[in-house]
Amino acid sequence: MTKQKADLLQGTLDMLILKAVSLGPLHGYGIIQRIRQISGEMLDVEQGSLYPALYRIEQRGWVSSKWEVNETNRRAKFYALTRAGRRQLEVEEASWDRLVLAVAKVRRAM
Amino acid sequence: MRWFNIFSARLRALVGREAVIRDIDEEMRLHVEMETETNVGRGMSPADARRAALISFGNFDSVRNVAYRVRGGGMLETLLQDIRYGARVLAKHKGFTAVAVITLALGIGANTAIFSVVNELLLRPLPYRDAERLVMLWEITSEGRHQNTTSRANFRGWREQNTAFEGMAAFSDQRLTLTGDGEPEEVSVQLATPELFRVLGVEPLLGRGLTQEGERPAAPEVVLSHGFWQRRYGGDPGVVGKPVTLNGVPCTVAGVLPAGFQWHIKQRSGTGRPAEIWTVLAMPTEGSAATRGRFLSVVARLRPSVSLEQAGAEMKTIAARLEQDAPQYNKGYGTQVIPLREQFVGNVRPALLILLGAVGFVLLIACANVANLMLSRAAAREKEVALRTALGASRMRVVRQLLTESVLLALLGSVFGLLVAWWGIGALVAISPRDLVNLQGVGINLTVLGWTLAVSLLTGIIFGIAPALEATRLNLNDALKEGGQGAGGQGTRNRRLRSALVVAEVALALVLLASAGLLVKSFARLQEIDTGFNTENVLTMVVRLPDGKYKEEPQMVAFFRQATERIRALPGVRAVGTVNFLPLYGGLGSSTGFTVEGQPAPPPGEEPSTNVRVTDAGYFGAMGIPLLRGRNFTEFEANESKHVVIISESMARQHFPGEDPLGKRISVQMFEEPTPTEIVGVVGDVRYDSLIDEAQPTVYFPHPELTYPFMTLVIRTTSDPAEMSPAVRRELSAIDPDQPVSDVRTMNQVMADTVGRARFNTLLFGLFAGLATLLAAVGIFGVMNYSVTLRTREIGLRIALGAQPNRVLMLILRQGLLLTLIGIGIGLAGALALTRVMSSLLFGVDTTDPATFAVIVLLLTVVSLIACYIPARRATRIDPLLALRYE
Repeated sequence: MTKQKADLLQGTLDMLILKAVSLGPLHGYGIIQRIRQISGEMLDVEQGSLYPALYRIEQRGWVSSKWEVNETNRRAKFYALTRAGRRQLEVEEASWDRLVLAVAKVRRAM
Repeated sequence: MRWFNIFSARLRALVGREAVIRDIDEEMRLHVEMETETNVGRGMSPADARRAALISFGNFDSVRNVAYRVRGGGMLETLLQDIRYGARVLAKHKGFTAVAVITLALGIGANTAIFSVVNELLLRPLPYRDAERLVMLWEITSEGRHQNTTSRANFRGWREQNTAFEGMAAFSDQRLTLTGDGEPEEVSVQLATPELFRVLGVEPLLGRGLTQEGERPAAPEVVLSHGFWQRRYGGDPGVVGKPVTLNGVPCTVAGVLPAGFQWHIKQRSGTGRPAEIWTVLAMPTEGSAATRGRFLSVVARLRPSVSLEQAGAEMKTIAARLEQDAPQYNKGYGTQVIPLREQFVGNVRPALLILLGAVGFVLLIACANVANLMLSRAAAREKEVALRTALGASRMRVVRQLLTESVLLALLGSVFGLLVAWWGIGALVAISPRDLVNLQGVGINLTVLGWTLAVSLLTGIIFGIAPALEATRLNLNDALKEGGQGAGGQGTRNRRLRSALVVAEVALALVLLASAGLLVKSFARLQEIDTGFNTENVLTMVVRLPDGKYKEEPQMVAFFRQATERIRALPGVRAVGTVNFLPLYGGLGSSTGFTVEGQPAPPPGEEPSTNVRVTDAGYFGAMGIPLLRGRNFTEFEANESKHVVIISESMARQHFPGEDPLGKRISVQMFEEPTPTEIVGVVGDVRYDSLIDEAQPTVYFPHPELTYPFMTLVIRTTSDPAEMSPAVRRELSAIDPDQPVSDVRTMNQVMADTVGRARFNTLLFGLFAGLATLLAAVGIFGVMNYSVTLRTREIGLRIALGAQPNRVLMLILRQGLLLTLIGIGIGLAGALALTRVMSSLLFGVDTTDPATFAVIVLLLTVVSLIACYIPARRATRIDPLLALRYE
C-alpha cells in the first residue's frame, strides 16, 4: 500500500500538535499516531522534530505535561491542551482556513 | 579553581540540569519502546523492531540537545560557562584583576558609604506613624526671621480655629535638675501639651502619656524616655507612680515610652539635645501677659484629605485674625508650615545630593580607568577573540562573554567596596559635625546592599561595553596573520578610544577638584572671620543652679561671685567672667525691643531691637572683647543693681549716630516695668548669633540687674585651658558639692563645632577630589605607557636617526599634555556649569572664583605631567637596535 504523503508546511506542526491533543491528553508517541491516523496516513511527523516543537509549545503555556501511567500500565508523559492552547488553536485554524481559501481562489483564477 | 567547580556543580544540580536531561531521555526511551512494540505487532522480530524504531527516531543526541535548549537550559549553561571562563581569565591575570578590583572597590565603596547616609536621612521613613502627614508650625517674625517659636496664646488660637489638622501639640525643651533617688543630675526635659504623643502616634510602653492640662498642676506627671528609664531605673517595671523631683518640684512618673522613640527638633531647642523626660506644659488662663512669650515649637498632624498648601492657607487666615485681635503682640507676624522630613534634613539635603554626585563622578573615573585597563588587554586578546569567532561564535556571543567577565570584575570590586564602605561609614559618623543630624543609625542594610549590587552591575556594563565591542570589531584575517600584535587600524582606534577616556577622566577630576578648591577657600574665609572675641586659651562651662535650692536672686548672684573669686585665685587663670549665653552657642538668638530716652517713641511693636546679654565685670577681659569708650562694670555694680548697661559698637553707631552714647539712658523691654538704664561703656562688636551674619547690636546687663539662674563661666588661662577643668570643678564643688556643671568646652571647640558642617563638606570633597585626581593620574600613566609601547618602533627609528633624549621626552610629554589640556578645557566648562549648585555651601567665595580655578588647572597639569614623565623617560631609553627588530 503506497500512499502519497504531503509535505508539512512550515509552521503547521504546532497547529497539528494542538489539534491532536485537543481531543484528549496524549503522550508524544500517541501524538504522532493520532496525526497519522486522522490525516488518513497522509501526514507523518518526524519523530526528531516532534519533541523540540512539543517543548516549545509547552514553554509557551499552550500545553501542560504530566507523567502518568496509561491503560496498558506503562508510564508515559502526557500532554494536555491548556485554555491558552485552545485559544491559540482557534487562531491558527482560522488563519489556516483563510490561507486555504485564498490559495483556492488564486488557483481557480489561473 | 576547585572551589569554583564544586560551586558550579552544585548550582547545576540546584537548577536541575541533570533532572531535565533525565526527563527528556526517559521520554524518548519510552517513545522508542512504544514504536518497537508497534513494530513487533506488525510481525517484526524484536531486534529488527528495535532497530527500525531507532532509525525512524533519528539522531538521538541532536534531538536531546535541541530539546534541552528549548526547555531553557541553554541560557543558564552558557552563563555558567561564561562565568567559569571569566573567573579563570581573572585568576590568570592577577595583576590586572588586583588593580581593577582596588579601583572599583574605592569607587563603589565611596558610593555605598554616601548612599547609606542618603538612604538613612532622605529615603527611610521617619519613625512615626504616617509621618508624611506630620508638619511643624512656626511663626515668621515681623523682622522676617523664619522658624520662630510661637506663644501659648497664639498656639491656643491655632488649635481652636484650624480645620486642617487632626491634632496639634506644643512643646519646649529645658534643662532641669533632677533630684531624688541617686545622684542629682541635669536632664533634658520637654514641656509639652498632652496631645504630643497622640499626634506623633506613639503608645507608652508602661503606664500612660501626659494627661494634665491647663494651669501648672501642683503635682505634675512625667513620662520617661526608654533610655532614661534603663539608665536611671535599670528598667524597673514598677517605676510608674514613683516620685521624682525636678528643679525642686515633686512630680510623679506616669509612664515610659517605647525604645527607639525620639523626638527632638534641633531648631530653637533650648537644650540642643533630645529630651529624656516629658512633663506637662502649663497653659495659664487666657488674657494673662505671660501667655504672650514666644518659646513654643508646634507639631501637627494633617487630616488625610488636606494638602500642605491648604493647611498653609488656613494658617495664614488664622494668623491674620490673631494679628487683628492682639496687634501689640502679633503685628507683622506670619506663619510657616514645614513637613517634618524637611524640618529634619532640609538643611543637609543639598549637601548630601551634591556629595552623592561627587562620588558618582569618582565612580565614573574608576570605570574609565578599568575600561582603559581592559582596552590595553584588548590587543592581547585579539587572537583569542579571532579564534573564537573563526570557530563560529557570533559577535553577540563573544561580547556577552566579555561582558560577563567585566560584571564579574565589578561584583568582585563591590565585595571589597563593601569593606571600604563599612570602614568609610565609621569614619563618616566619627567626623560628622554635632549639629548635622543623627548619623548613628547609618549602616549597611538591605536597601544599601541592593543599591551596591545595582551600581556594580551597571558599573560592569559601563566599563565593559566599549572594550567588548572594541575587542570584537576586528578583521579576522589581519588578527590571525599578525600574530597578536595589534597595529594598523585596530591599534589607532583603540588608542583613540583610550585617549577619549583619559580626556573624560581629566574633565571629571577637574570638576571635583574645582568644587573642593572652592570649599577649601570658603572654609578658610570662615576661619578668618573676626568674631569680636579671642578664642585662644579660653575654657567655658555651664552652671545651672537648681531653683529648689536657690530661690532668691541675691543667692544666685552670690554663688557666681563666689565662684569667679575662687577661680580667679587659681594659678594659671588670667581672667574669669560669666555670661548667660556664649557667642555661637547655637541656642535662641534673643531679640528684644528698646526705647531711647529723649528720642521720639516709635509706635508699639515697631521699636528697634537688640541682643541682650547678662555678664559681670570679668567677662569682657576673659573673652578678649575690647572696651572702646567709657568704663567697664565695677565690682560694686556687678554685685548690686545700679541700672547701668554697656552697649556694643554697632548699637552705638546705629542708634546714637554722631553723638556720645555715654550717659544716655535706654529702656530695654526685659522688665515688667519700663526701667531706664544708663550707658556707661561701649565695647567691640561680637557675632553672637551666627558666624556669617554681621554682629547685631547688643546690650550688656550686669548680672544683679537681670539675674539668671544659669550662667556660663568664661575662664582665660595661661596654658592649655582643657587642663584647668578639674581644678575649676573642685572650686565649684567646694561651694556646693551637689552643683553639676555641663557643656565643658574650650572656645576653640565652640568655634570648631560652629564650622563643623563646613569642615565636614570640605573634608569629604577634598577626599573625593584627591581620589579622583589619583585615579585620573593612573589613567594618564596607563595610556601614555601603552602609547610608548605602540610607538616603540617609531621612537627607536627617531633615536637611530639622531633624536636627542630631550626631544623624545618632549614628544611624549606633549602628547600627554595635549590630552590633559583637552580634558581641562571640557572640565572647566563643566565645572563652571556645575559649581553653581554648590552656592549654598559656600561662604565668601564666588562659584566661579578665578583664583581657585587657576590653582586647580595648574595642579592638574602638574599631576598629569608627572604621570606622563615616567613613560616618557622609558621612551628615551629605548634601544634603537632592539626596537627595529621588535615585532
